[in-house]
Amino acid sequence: MNKAISTRLTFAVAILSLLIFIILWQVIAQQGLLVKNFPGSFKTIGSLIWWVSDPFFDNGPNDLGIGTNLLISLRRVLIGYSLAVLVAVPLGVLMGMSKLAQSSLNPYVQLLKPVSPLAWLPVGLFVFRNSEITGIFVIFITSIWPTLINTAFGVASINPDYLRVSKSLGASKSTTIRRVILPAIMPNILAGMRISMGTAWLVIVAAEMLLGTGIGYFIWNEWNNLSLENIFVAIIIIGFTGFILDQFFGFLQDKFDYSI
Amino acid sequence: MNKKSSKTSSSNENYSHLELFNLGKIFFKEKKFIDFRSKGNRSGFEAIKDINLKIEKNTFVSIIGPSGCGKSTLLNLIAGLQAPTSGKIVIDGQAIKGPGPDRGVIFQNYALMPWLTTIQNIEFALNTVFPAKTKADVKERARKYLRMVGLEKASNKFPKELSGGMKQRVAIARALSINPNMLLMDEPFGALDALTRSYLQDELLSIWRKNKVTVVLITHSIEEALLLSDKIVLMSSGPSAIISEEISVDLERPRDREKIEQDPKYLKIKMRLEKHLLRETRAVEEVT
Repeated sequence: MNKAISTRLTFAVAILSLLIFIILWQVIAQQGLLVKNFPGSFKTIGSLIWWVSDPFFDNGPNDLGIGTNLLISLRRVLIGYSLAVLVAVPLGVLMGMSKLAQSSLNPYVQLLKPVSPLAWLPVGLFVFRNSEITGIFVIFITSIWPTLINTAFGVASINPDYLRVSKSLGASKSTTIRRVILPAIMPNILAGMRISMGTAWLVIVAAEMLLGTGIGYFIWNEWNNLSLENIFVAIIIIGFTGFILDQFFGFLQDKFDYSI
Repeated sequence: MNKKSSKTSSSNENYSHLELFNLGKIFFKEKKFIDFRSKGNRSGFEAIKDINLKIEKNTFVSIIGPSGCGKSTLLNLIAGLQAPTSGKIVIDGQAIKGPGPDRGVIFQNYALMPWLTTIQNIEFALNTVFPAKTKADVKERARKYLRMVGLEKASNKFPKELSGGMKQRVAIARALSINPNMLLMDEPFGALDALTRSYLQDELLSIWRKNKVTVVLITHSIEEALLLSDKIVLMSSGPSAIISEEISVDLERPRDREKIEQDPKYLKIKMRLEKHLLRETRAVEEVT
């Protein structure tokens, strides 16, 4: 089949499926088939348009525009996440290169990795006495493991030929790390960073329900207002933002794909 | 590595360019952090032992032996990528302590960095070995060596866009760009198809003639060794492989791929090599 036609067809099918979904949703809600007062798709779309048409208003912490809340969440994620990457990559390289670092750090990684980052929230609040920093701290803990583990794995499984070339040329350790190891493990680092970002974006919503402000708090607040359609608006916006973030890393991964 | 002095001193001294004395390599099992059972006397795998060899300057020497005989280990030792367990390696009268740019190494799988273009791969070697050189100098020199292997047009291509033969030519250019006295090649044409292989063998010979350099080639192809070498070193089957024989190949150069096969001298050496390899391979296959 012609590629242009195939793309257009895929697009048409997606639109059609969306229309059917919206109609079904509206019908089910209107007939009260699920529960009473469940908001229909028309009402939700109306809310979405209302929120998106003026996204950045600020009438105090319990009445912020959805864009303002989204930016608050994104800022927390980006700060915590960037700090995590700054720690995880060098630590991962160290763990991949040194047996001593590997055996002394790995137990902590294995023990802490499966813990829900939300468990750190009270610890953060106790230590920092500040909800903003606690949010960033929780995102830091969330983001660190996938990037750390992927980086260490990348270094440990690096093609030994690259290292032999570097060694045979008499390259120093720092040259080897900067010019050979880091570029060689870029695909691993990016894969780890993509997973870290995905998890951080999941966790921020839950964390913010307890912290105040941000898109997560927005959901909690609308629950207190019993405004389910606004919660659906938030879900749509969170999903869309997460999708964009993931696509960005997908794009980076394609850039650094060395495979044949 | 002081290249200048080594290059001028070699001819009139009474040592060869490369000398191996009682070289041995044992691979020990990785030492466990806490190991109760083996106290002191760790057992290991002895790849090669008692290797004594002299290689003269600007000669072409092939090392041939059955698979798993430790040929690559021997090359890695000469390259300084691994340290010998016993014995020593002497180049121009000086015992080597590790790798150095006086030896260019070429690996079977080309070992090009996939994130660098062809020319950048060569520039990486040049920048590492000659940190004082200017950017323009490095670029110019990298271009010169790419031209030498006929790949100037591919200078901005990435390795994945090149064929196996082209990749190995880039690797050869990279190894020669640092102006080594010695070229160490570990089955460089093993992964190539027969035609590309012949082409690269001829290419290598012409490069060797122009760039006076000592070549140590690991191969398991008898024809390749005969076509290229001044001397063929035969290794026994491993473990604990030794040098079983050294054969001088006094066939006239330049050697013609087709005509050489009718030369009775060529056939005589070939038969001898075949017999040896068959015997050693049988030893390997019948043990395991």
